[in-house]
Amino acid sequence: MTPARFLETRAPAWNQLEALVRKAGRSGVARLSDPELHELTRLYPAVAVDVARARMSRIDATTQQRINRLAIAAHGLLYRRPKARKGLAIVRFFARDYPRLFRQLWPYMALATAIFLAGSLGAYLTVLARPSTAHYFVPAGLDVVDEETDVSAGDVSERYRRMPGAPMTSFITTNNIRVAFLAFAAGITAGIGTVLLLFFNAMMLGGFVAHFQNHHLGYEVASFLTPHGALEIFAILVAAAAGLRLGLSLAIPGRVTRKTSLRIGAKEAVLLVLGTIPMFIVAGVIESFITPSYISGGLKITIGLAALGTTLAYLLVVGHGRRTRRPTPTNK
Amino acid sequence: MDTFDLIETPEHVELEQPLAGIGSRFLAGLLDNLILAAVFLVLFIVLSLLVQLSPFEDTGAWAFAFLILIGFVIQWGYFVFFELRTNGQSPGKKATKIRVVKEGGTPITFSDVAVRNLLRAIDALPFYAIAGVTMFISKKCQRLGDLAAGTVVVSEQVSDFSARTDRRVRADWQAQAGAPALRATGLTPEEYRVVNNYWMRRGQLTLDARRSLLPRLLRPILIRTGQTLSDDRLETLEAYVELLMRQAWFAQTDAENATAQREGGP
Repeated sequence: MTPARFLETRAPAWNQLEALVRKAGRSGVARLSDPELHELTRLYPAVAVDVARARMSRIDATTQQRINRLAIAAHGLLYRRPKARKGLAIVRFFARDYPRLFRQLWPYMALATAIFLAGSLGAYLTVLARPSTAHYFVPAGLDVVDEETDVSAGDVSERYRRMPGAPMTSFITTNNIRVAFLAFAAGITAGIGTVLLLFFNAMMLGGFVAHFQNHHLGYEVASFLTPHGALEIFAILVAAAAGLRLGLSLAIPGRVTRKTSLRIGAKEAVLLVLGTIPMFIVAGVIESFITPSYISGGLKITIGLAALGTTLAYLLVVGHGRRTRRPTPTNK
Repeated sequence: MDTFDLIETPEHVELEQPLAGIGSRFLAGLLDNLILAAVFLVLFIVLSLLVQLSPFEDTGAWAFAFLILIGFVIQWGYFVFFELRTNGQSPGKKATKIRVVKEGGTPITFSDVAVRNLLRAIDALPFYAIAGVTMFISKKCQRLGDLAAGTVVVSEQVSDFSARTDRRVRADWQAQAGAPALRATGLTPEEYRVVNNYWMRRGQLTLDARRSLLPRLLRPILIRTGQTLSDDRLETLEAYVELLMRQAWFAQTDAENATAQREGGP
């Protein structure tokens, strides 16, 4: 067939498909009637083949680009994922997929916990043995014990009481979620960024606790940190595990290509970190309303541990049973 | 750096989707950030007024709480919301006619959008320098978020695509200034070259430049061949040039096919 004949015979099909694509517009095939939809499925494969034929017989550039673009538009209309119902997707995510994902990624959680313990215990023991090293770990702003004489740690809470609860919750929650996002995103540096972030914050916490204990304020600091801190630290560990998942998928791809490994890792990791948002909201509310309240230290600690226990129970128990579908693709 | 993302269709035809360049992506990002800044400013002013006018004592605290919360949601949710909603176009991207798609041309899913936009936290470090460098290095102009999510940003500028040309095809086209093409168009080789050059490059010229250039190029040809056109609007002149180009091209390819058949084709 000569190029001229090719153009003559095929142009009507292109015009027809162009009209259909234009009619479908942004909102997709829903706008087309049944016969039009049928036309679309009939015309598209032929036009896709036209692209190859045009390239082979070196049809002019303008026409080549026209049908190439047309075929892309039609391809975009026909090949798309079925739309999930959005409301249900979130319910299903937390009712089944998220706890499963957490259990599936437990090695990363263990690794994050190990890094955290190394940092916090290391700093804790160092400061206990040599109290003068405290200033290496505790930022000046938090060092109320040395800064103001005769301050008991129980009254660190007093500072919190001066702030109204609502802005407090907002600020603490959003700030923690921001840190969690950063712990995830820093994983793109093959995990190094996440490890550093986690390790230094763990050292700060360990040094902080030891410093107060050196001043015989161990119980006070525990009753101040535990109510919100138990869940908050756990959620940060989950976020760090997500960062490690991302980083190690890039650093150690295993049997798939580095690119594929990164894609799979990133997908699992982002879902893992997004699931920490509710944990931070609960922790933020506790931190603003229970931590500064005047209830007894023992009750505060109990509430903190209960919040953590409930979260753990949810993550370990929910979503067992028949697997209809793996929650996320794995590289097996 | 590639300028196309190849879409392999189930029909085993590769379609070429043009990629968006760093320039248009930077512009889109700038627009989006300006929109975000404007939204924050309006929010801040409205809430300040509200606090001033409110008879209650603790309105300030609640307004502050609301501002922090909504600011956070908008800052992180803006791109996720719009890219999901409009299938890959934040308002800035819509304005610059670019779109996020999965590599291979399929639409993006929630986790893709979440990955590429949470990694903004790193990409945006110092003034999107990391994103810029990564886009420059990576083959398909992807920033870190795109690499991790497996997405590319494609260009959908269709406005004047008929005037664009592909460099590979242009080489072929110029080589075709042979005898059949000249016979069909009645042009001299020099005239053919002038007209052909104009036709190939018109996509890169502004409308004003085309309006002033084309009459001057065509006048000697029209005088020599003794032709007159119905009017001298740019559309008429370009239609004439296109006609010449098509005549040349058909003559040339038909001649080549005829040769191929004579030399023992199937």
